[in-house]
Amino acid sequence: MASASKNSGAPECLTARRVRPAAASHRSQALVVGILAFFAAITVATTLGIIGMLIFESSGFFLNSTQPIELKKFLTGTVWNVGHITEAGKLEYGIWPLLSGTFRITAVAMLIALPLGLVTAIYLSEYAPRRLRAILKPALEVLAGIPTVVLGFFAVMYITPWLQNLGDFRTFNSASAGIAVGILCLPLVCSLSEDALRAVPQSLRDASYGLGGTRFDTTLKVVVPAALSGIVSAFLLAIARAVGETMVVALAAGSTPVFTFDPRLPSQTMTGFIVERFQSENVVPGTVDYYSIYAVAITLFVITFGFTLVGQWIRRRYREAY
Amino acid sequence: MPHPDRPLINDAVRKAKNQLFLVVCLLASSLVLVVLVFMLTTLVRQGGGHISWRFLTSYHHDDNPAASGILPAMAGSLVVCLICAAAAIPVGIGTAILMEEFRPKNRTVNWLHQLVQLNVNNLAGVPSIVYGILGVTAFVYMFNLFGVIEANKTPQFEMGARRYYQVRTIAKEYVWIPVQDKNERTIRIEQPCRALTVQGEPLELQVIERGAPPPSDPADLARTVYRGSVASIFNQHRFFYAHLPFGTSVLSAGLTLALVILPIVVISTQEAIRAVPGTLREAAFGLGTTRWQMVRTVVLPAALPGIMTGTILAMGRAIGEAAPLLAVMRGVISNSAAPANLMENSATLPVLIYGWAQDENKGFHDLSAAAILVLLVLLLLMNATAIFIRYRTEHNTRN
Amino acid sequence: MKRLSVLVLFCLVLGACEKPPATQPGGTSSTGDSRKAGETDSGTAASSLRGKIDIQGSSTVEPISNQAKEKFNVKFPGVQVTVGRQGTGNGFSVFGKRESDISDASRPIKKKEADECLKNGVTFIELPIAYDGLTIVVNPKNDFVKQLTLDQIRKIFREGGATTWKEVDESWPDKPITLFIPGTGSGTFDYFLEVVGKDGDGEAPLRTSGANVMPSEDDNLLVRGVSGDEFAIGYFGYAYFEANKEKLKCVPVVHPETQKGVTPSRQTIESGEYSPFSRPLFIYVNAESLESKNEVLEFVEFYLDNAQSIVDAARYVPLPAELYARVREHLESRLTGTHFLTAEGEARHGALADVYRRENLVQAQK
Repeated sequence: MASASKNSGAPECLTARRVRPAAASHRSQALVVGILAFFAAITVATTLGIIGMLIFESSGFFLNSTQPIELKKFLTGTVWNVGHITEAGKLEYGIWPLLSGTFRITAVAMLIALPLGLVTAIYLSEYAPRRLRAILKPALEVLAGIPTVVLGFFAVMYITPWLQNLGDFRTFNSASAGIAVGILCLPLVCSLSEDALRAVPQSLRDASYGLGGTRFDTTLKVVVPAALSGIVSAFLLAIARAVGETMVVALAAGSTPVFTFDPRLPSQTMTGFIVERFQSENVVPGTVDYYSIYAVAITLFVITFGFTLVGQWIRRRYREAY
Repeated sequence: MPHPDRPLINDAVRKAKNQLFLVVCLLASSLVLVVLVFMLTTLVRQGGGHISWRFLTSYHHDDNPAASGILPAMAGSLVVCLICAAAAIPVGIGTAILMEEFRPKNRTVNWLHQLVQLNVNNLAGVPSIVYGILGVTAFVYMFNLFGVIEANKTPQFEMGARRYYQVRTIAKEYVWIPVQDKNERTIRIEQPCRALTVQGEPLELQVIERGAPPPSDPADLARTVYRGSVASIFNQHRFFYAHLPFGTSVLSAGLTLALVILPIVVISTQEAIRAVPGTLREAAFGLGTTRWQMVRTVVLPAALPGIMTGTILAMGRAIGEAAPLLAVMRGVISNSAAPANLMENSATLPVLIYGWAQDENKGFHDLSAAAILVLLVLLLLMNATAIFIRYRTEHNTRN
Repeated sequence: MKRLSVLVLFCLVLGACEKPPATQPGGTSSTGDSRKAGETDSGTAASSLRGKIDIQGSSTVEPISNQAKEKFNVKFPGVQVTVGRQGTGNGFSVFGKRESDISDASRPIKKKEADECLKNGVTFIELPIAYDGLTIVVNPKNDFVKQLTLDQIRKIFREGGATTWKEVDESWPDKPITLFIPGTGSGTFDYFLEVVGKDGDGEAPLRTSGANVMPSEDDNLLVRGVSGDEFAIGYFGYAYFEANKEKLKCVPVVHPETQKGVTPSRQTIESGEYSPFSRPLFIYVNAESLESKNEVLEFVEFYLDNAQSIVDAARYVPLPAELYARVREHLESRLTGTHFLTAEGEARHGALADVYRRENLVQAQK
């Protein structure tokens, strides 16, 4: 492309009022590219910053000379008991109570978001008449744009009392938070899956109809399998979103780190722990407590990053198939 | 849609399945609408009645929902979002231009290029609370490079502060004395000296002994202090007042939010740029432009509506984000005025909603719903702008 | 080109708007000042005092400091007061690093904390400001708990104690006890540990983790937890109970000597009859801030001058006037150090009026 300007002798840009010498144009271009590269470097620096910070600070947790926490104990322990004042009971750092809290809420959320989101996406892409689409799509967009703290408020004020009417649910419980997180992930699942479904060529559908399939057969046996990779990646990204969700769990799930599978009990998730620490405490750098935030954060980061990475990879890899 | 009518043995079953699935689909998708409508109506019912002029113009009073309002939180949200926009938009758009228009041919550079792309995609999936931690480490404490901000010391690295000593006159009012040495936190007034009233009028400060009869004229009272009175330093901060580290401030919060929305800005800008037809670019090259001239004069103007739409939507994400702000600004909700400079801590709308929702005083729950309504209206306005821009462009291109 | 300029303008406007509206004209300071003064003078006789005060610490004391702040700001609108509520222990750790001017505390300073202050050269003045009765609450639907003895309380809250109500008393239902307790960074927890965790034969840890324990530094969450769970029990400062009376039921505690169940109230707390859970609340003032910041001096003087009404408004129990006079005297003479540690670094116990004397004052030991 650069050759184009070489050939034309004195270049003149489309709306420029005066003619600039080629060398000057190229010099200014080099300057601009330099600035743009600097901007791009900021995005890379953000990632490196996150990773570097997490590794550096959590090393204070695992390699601390006075009170080292064994990595094995951290990864397999089932009691999480932290506190500012050391004489107040013993401190235990086993990540599983927090992990189980996160997984319980994610599981409830996915039970709601995945089937509902997928079915809605199928409906939108295969069945919905144009007029219904014109209502559903904006509704989903509005739902996607609602701040998470609003859903948290909704969970505490409405979902929890409703659940407590149904059964023996605690004031703070994982189910309520899970339902709200599910609502939150639904638009994401829906729009990503719909993209995948729409990318399936019409010819495949026509072939199915030609063989006598009903629309249901076509959808279930042809379109969905063809779009499966896209749907799987949508699911993975939704899981990553649910794992990293903070405000809903901070409001509705409580602050009890407990290792259980009962969704009626309160739970503290990894994100909930981080936010509670930052809010309830002037985090004092240098204490084990302070480093524990980073140890939890690095676990959270690795999990969400893993899901996102795989999800993105599948998405990119298979989107180009058609 | 072609639907061959070929009789089969299980035709009836298959058709029934088809119908059943349609019903399931309808139920599932109507559930989305039901949830949305239910949420909005309950919010309006709970909070609608609490929105009043007083609500919009007062601040949070502990234990007194009837007098509480959202003014500082709205101002805080605005300032934080503006800082965020000022940081994220240029960087995001710049990165997107580099990604889309300056694809290198060189192998290693190209590899770097792809790395940046991969990186941006993955940054979008990082939980916002992790950005919050990054914000605390990188902006609030600045990796502990500059020490901590002490409550009764002058920060070492700062700008935008004007300093005065304030000393109490016999009239119990305070007058100001300009500061010579900023490390001298207090001085004792032993001699008459020049000072300023709060109105900024110069005056000659008189000194009398403790126990001596005070002057009878009230005007004199206001310019007389007892010998040995302590004048203590205070900072008058300009709006751009800043110190290192940034501490728990709106500047830290804005920059943290900028990191949160950066990937969104980049990705949406990339999509907008990609939508510009290649023919336009070729036409520009045909006229002999350099690449940057082409981008500046052809691609950016054509992609502008798309960029603005994406950017506004990203700002919508920023204004509703609470988790990173909870970490960076420690969930403060009780400031009584809008932040007056970059280094002040402030409530923001989402954090206020969070704080009120957690308050045990039921009155605050209703206020929380009302604040949510305000936030949703703000979001709606932003989205409407985005949709309007999109509509305008579609309209223009059709003509 | 036009569109490009729109883009640039868009960015510029966004960038420019970053400046908050309170922009002062760039000229001499006097112009800006006169405008500001005009604002404040137009209302009541507002003082021209300016500055910033940072208060951190106990969530139990926070309502009192907040009341003080609200009242103070009516007269001194130019002073920006921040009141945090991260817990006494967290408050002291910040206080010891000079990050706050005043530390709210629901228990006296500990030796470790005082040492930290000494190490960093932070001297402080200890000012008791109110009484609190640590109140044990259950759900209003709970009709089996009529009163609790100290032994029963120990069973409920200690590690390895009872996990169901039946284990505490045979006649009570066989349901798990859910605990809503202040976080371990709070002074209320420390005080409770002091009373419940210790007895004649030593110290026992309290339950702070497990499926049925929810610790939080935010007393509001505890109130909501107990009011939403029929078999819950919790404790916090008296003011939070006062403010949420209709949602909670408070449990009378059997006095260790008289064997009579005593309900916390203003009278029983002030008289010391509500024992052993009535306690004094404090503010600790950084002496250096007091000397070098006129706004801190004004605030603390205002705090003590109006202590009675401030404490009342915050729903706590004011100290007797005689004690306030003594507190004021300590402030006037800038008596630094704590009364609650002996010269050997041991904790000093006893009624506030007996301990808070000049001769008991010690600086912490290295």
